[in-house]
Amino acid sequence: MGGKNEKPTFTRMKTERSKASAPHLTLFMPLLFMRSLEKKLVMRLKDFFLTMQEFFLFSVKAFMAFPKMIRYWRDVLDQATICGTDSIPIVLVSAISIGALLAIEVGNLLEDFGAKTMLGRSTALSVIRELGPLLMGLMLSARFGSRNGAELGAMQISEQIDALRAFGTDPIAKLVMPRLLAALIMFLPLTALSDFAGLQSAAYMAEHYHRIDPGIFWNAVYPRLAPKDFVVGFLKAPVFAVIITLVSCFNGFSARGGTAGVGRSTIKGIVVSSGLVLIANFYVSKIVLENM
Amino acid sequence: MIELRNVSLKYGDREILKNVSLTIKDNTIKAILGPSGVGKSTILKLMLGLIKPNSGHVIVDGTDITCMKESSLYSIRRKMGMVFQGNALFDSLTISQNLGFFLRENLKLPEAEISRKVAEQIQFAGLEGYEDQLPESLSGGMRRRVAIGRALIFKPHMILFDEPTAGLDPVSSKKILSLISSLRQHNNLGAVIVTHIIDDVFHVADSVAVLYQGEIIFDDVTEKLHEADHPFIRSILSDKILEL
Repeated sequence: MGGKNEKPTFTRMKTERSKASAPHLTLFMPLLFMRSLEKKLVMRLKDFFLTMQEFFLFSVKAFMAFPKMIRYWRDVLDQATICGTDSIPIVLVSAISIGALLAIEVGNLLEDFGAKTMLGRSTALSVIRELGPLLMGLMLSARFGSRNGAELGAMQISEQIDALRAFGTDPIAKLVMPRLLAALIMFLPLTALSDFAGLQSAAYMAEHYHRIDPGIFWNAVYPRLAPKDFVVGFLKAPVFAVIITLVSCFNGFSARGGTAGVGRSTIKGIVVSSGLVLIANFYVSKIVLENM
Repeated sequence: MIELRNVSLKYGDREILKNVSLTIKDNTIKAILGPSGVGKSTILKLMLGLIKPNSGHVIVDGTDITCMKESSLYSIRRKMGMVFQGNALFDSLTISQNLGFFLRENLKLPEAEISRKVAEQIQFAGLEGYEDQLPESLSGGMRRRVAIGRALIFKPHMILFDEPTAGLDPVSSKKILSLISSLRQHNNLGAVIVTHIIDDVFHVADSVAVLYQGEIIFDDVTEKLHEADHPFIRSILSDKILEL
C-alpha cells in the first residue's frame, strides 16, 4: 500500500507538478496582484476624472441656460412649489426638534458654569450660522435631491430625455435650469424659516425647561448678532442649492440599466450631495468667519 | 435623404457598428433588420445626431451632421420624427399635451392653431375621448399611435420607427403597420423601420438592410432578400422572428 511499486496516478502527478511550480508562482503572485491593483486604480481614476469633466460641462450648460428662464417660467414655478412650499413641513420639523434639543443640552451645560443667561446667544449662533442652513440642506438633499434623481433617472431610462432632444428641446434648459433657479430662489426663505423655527423652539424650551425669562433669552440674541453671522448662514443657501440640484440632476441624467439603475443613481445623488453639503458647510463657515 | 458613410461605433471595448454604410432615399420605406442588441436602434440615434460615431459620416439632406453642435442639430432633427421603442411619451403630460409638445416648444403658433393640429392627430390616431388622459391609462397599441401622432404633428420628411410592433398583440401590430403604409400614400413621407420581425419588413418596406454582428450583410430591395445566400439570412427566412 503506497510502497515503492505504487503506480503514478493522475492526481499524484498533478500534485507533484504543482509542487514543482509552486515556488515560481509564489514569487510572481505579489507582482501579479500589484499589477491588477494598479490597473483597477488607473481605471477608477480615469472614470472619476471623466465623470468630473462631464459634471463640469453639465453644470456650465445649466447656468448657460438661465436666459431661457422666461420661456420655461411655468417649469420654474412648478419646481419652486416642489422644492419650496412642499418642503416647508420637513424643514420645520427638523428645525424645531434640533432647536429644542440644542436649548436643553446647551442649557444644561451652561448651568454647570452658572451662565444659563447666555443660552440665547449660544443657541442663536449655532442655529443661524450652522444648524439652520445645514439641516435645511440635508433635508432638501433627501427630499428635493431624491425626487430629481428618481424623476430624471426614470425619464432617462424610458428615453424621454432622448425624445426631448429628438424634438428639438434642450433637456438641460427644460429640466435642469428650472430646478436650479427654483432652488436658488427658494433655499433662502427656507433657511430663514429654518432659523426662525429653530430659535423659537429654543426660546420655548428655555422658558419651559430651564425657566429662563423670554426677555433674558431674546436679549442675549438680538444685540449680539453680527452681520457676519447672517452672511455665514445665508451664503450657505445658494451654495447648497447649486450642489444639491446639480449633483442630483446629473446623476438622474446618468442613470443606466433599468429600474435598478434609477435606484443606484438616486442613492448616489443623495449620498454625494449630502457629503458635499457637509463639506461646503465647513468651508463656507471657515472662509467667511476668517475674512469678516 | 439620409446617408451613413463608413460609420463605426464602439461602447467601451465593444464594437457595435463596423464600417456601416446606408442610404435612405426620400419617400421610401427602408427596414433595418437584425437580431436584438445588434445596434439597430443605435443607427436611428446616429441619424438624429443623438450619439456621435467614432468614425465615418452621417449626412442628412446633404449636410454632414457628424461634428455638429447640439444647438445646430435641432434644425436637422425637425426634418425627422422619431417613434421610440418604448414610445417615450412624457408621462406627466396628457395625450393632447404630448401631441402638442413640439408645437408649443418650438413653433410660435397661436393656441387655437395648436389645438386644431392636435385634434387632427387625435382623429388620425383614433384616440377621440382620450385627449385628457395620461399615457399610463392607455393600452400599448394606443400609446404607440400617440407616439406616431407626436412624431407626425410637425410634418417631418422622414419618420424613424424603433421596433414599431414590438410588444404589441397581432391586431395592434397590424393596425400600426397599416398606419405606417398609409403615411407614405397620404403624407408622402419616407420612413426607416428598425425591427427584428421579418414579417414587418415584407409588410411595409421597399428595401431592407440586414445588420449582423455590426456589419451590413444585405442592402437591397425587399423582394431580393429571398435570393440572398448568407447563412444568417437563410436562417432568418426560415425562422421568421429573430430571437438570437
